Amino acid sequence: MNDHKTVGIVMIEDDEGHARLIEKNIRRAGILNDIRHFTDGTTALDFLFNAADGPAKSGPAMILLDLNLPDMSGTDILARIKAEGSPLRRTPVVVLTTTDDRVEIERCYDLGCNVYITKPVNYESFAQAIRQLGLFLSVIQVPEAE
Amino acid sequence: MVRVRLKLPSSEGRVARWLVAFMTLGFIALAAAAIAIGWITVRNRTYTAEILHTQDVRQAVATVQILMEQSETARRGYILAGKPLFAAAYARTAGNLVPSIRTLRHLTHDNPNQIARLALIEPRFIQLRAFRTQSMTLVASGRIAEAQRRFAVDASVPLMRGIRYRLQAMAADEVRLLAIRTERQQRTSALFLSVAGLAAALLLIVAILAVLLIRRYTADLAASRDSLRTLNETLEEQVVERTADLSRANEEIQRFAYIVSHDLRSPLVNVMGFTAELATAAGPLAELVDRAEAEAPHILTEDARLAAREDLPEAIGFIRTSTQKMDRLINAILKLAREGRRTIAPEHIDPAQLVDTIVGAMQHIVDDRGAVVRVERPMPAIVTDRLALEQILSNLIENATKYLKPGRPGEIVVKGHTERGRVILSVVDNGRGIDPRDHQRVFDLFRRSGAQDQPGEGIGLAHVRALAYRLGGTIDVQSTLGDGATFRLNLPTHMTIQDAA
Repeated sequence: MNDHKTVGIVMIEDDEGHARLIEKNIRRAGILNDIRHFTDGTTALDFLFNAADGPAKSGPAMILLDLNLPDMSGTDILARIKAEGSPLRRTPVVVLTTTDDRVEIERCYDLGCNVYITKPVNYESFAQAIRQLGLFLSVIQVPEAE
Repeated sequence: MVRVRLKLPSSEGRVARWLVAFMTLGFIALAAAAIAIGWITVRNRTYTAEILHTQDVRQAVATVQILMEQSETARRGYILAGKPLFAAAYARTAGNLVPSIRTLRHLTHDNPNQIARLALIEPRFIQLRAFRTQSMTLVASGRIAEAQRRFAVDASVPLMRGIRYRLQAMAADEVRLLAIRTERQQRTSALFLSVAGLAAALLLIVAILAVLLIRRYTADLAASRDSLRTLNETLEEQVVERTADLSRANEEIQRFAYIVSHDLRSPLVNVMGFTAELATAAGPLAELVDRAEAEAPHILTEDARLAAREDLPEAIGFIRTSTQKMDRLINAILKLAREGRRTIAPEHIDPAQLVDTIVGAMQHIVDDRGAVVRVERPMPAIVTDRLALEQILSNLIENATKYLKPGRPGEIVVKGHTERGRVILSVVDNGRGIDPRDHQRVFDLFRRSGAQDQPGEGIGLAHVRALAYRLGGTIDVQSTLGDGATFRLNLPTHMTIQDAA
């Protein structure tokens, strides 16, 4: 953990229910980092790259990304973040989605995603996964944005 | 999409029938004309013969007349002049007279009228000849005066007149006959001409019609040949197009199933998640109720107690089992959809070896269920997708060990043979069997048969059938309830990518 600037969590998830469950379980894991939630890709990208308090302008962040968004595909957002010359290309991205298609998973890793997690329908597994993600977040070292 | 329909000329049969009808009619007409012409020709010849005959008769009558007159003239000259020249002339003409009368009689033997006339002539002639012979004898012996005297009184002149008169009648009769026969012959000739003309016209009409029909028939044939050629040329293209259409439709369905099952999963995560939250929240509530019951029973209503202890846990339990079931179903659809998207890669496979591997992998299940799997060798080699065949056979064998008849140790036989260029792989069991009513149904998704005493969602056989179709094959079951079942997988011996559905 960075001593001066806490790592902000940016959650891009169109399903309010999923977002709420993820947040609850992250909190239950004891993670108190700021969580910003966006339900569509456009406003999320705007925040990531342009907002004064966004990760590109100030402070490190990690991104939780769902692939099924109403306005664009999560892979497009991933590509933008990990693009050559992007200020956020070293920002860790956790893809958290329902899709477990092999091709999709490969594509995400090719684009530079750091972790790919399939949302299990079984809630206990889901909660477990999120809490472990929380544990992961508590130890992960996140680079500053360039 | 190009749709070429083979337009077989529907008139072809009719045209052909008309053609044959016209030709037949034409030939019949021609034959009739030929017969008519033949008949007319025969008639004509008869009439000509009759005319010639009449001419002969006229000639014969004339000969008799002339000889009769000449001999009479010679006799009379002899009586008057007594010159031997007349005697010689008489002898010549009278000598010819009898044969000429005989000829006439012969010629007119078919004409009763002439015979009657001749019958009147002949006795007169005999009488006349007697007078003549007498006259000639008298003159020859020099008794000319007596000959002259007798001649003056004998009946020669009336006899001659009688004969002359009847010969003229005969000649007239022949003239009349000649006129009749000539006219008849002319009529026949005219008839001949008209029949021949008619036949020629008929022939011409038939020929024109036949030519027209043949031209049309040929045009039709050419048209159908052209459309056949077009069809042939585009057939390949069409097959490719249809196959592309089919695979597009198939892909569409696969995508649809995939997207639907994914999008169904998303709300399900919420249902499961918040149900868990509810369950968690119900815990403290139940504790509260317990504490209230212990410390202040008066604030606790019966409804609140029931809600916290029974209704809430029960509702949550039902929501959970239902969502879990739904999750399994969605996963099944996903699995099928994903299977449909997998690329099929045909390779050489020894089914017996494959079955050995499958049975080896599930040996513990087979043993647990108290079953034996036997592989009948040899099995025909096959070229198909290994993974798909493995999944099919493993599903079938697993099912066979699963649905045993209670009290009968499971005995499963896997065997194969070739039938008309296809490989039939059979999985035969002695299990509880399947009601014939359910033979189709068991292959449907989420459908099961018989007692629901085994875990399962009704996916396995649907999966098996989908895989069999993908391999260009079919699957069916033969079974009677309580008496085992035989699943028969029918696959192409040598699968090509075109076979993949």
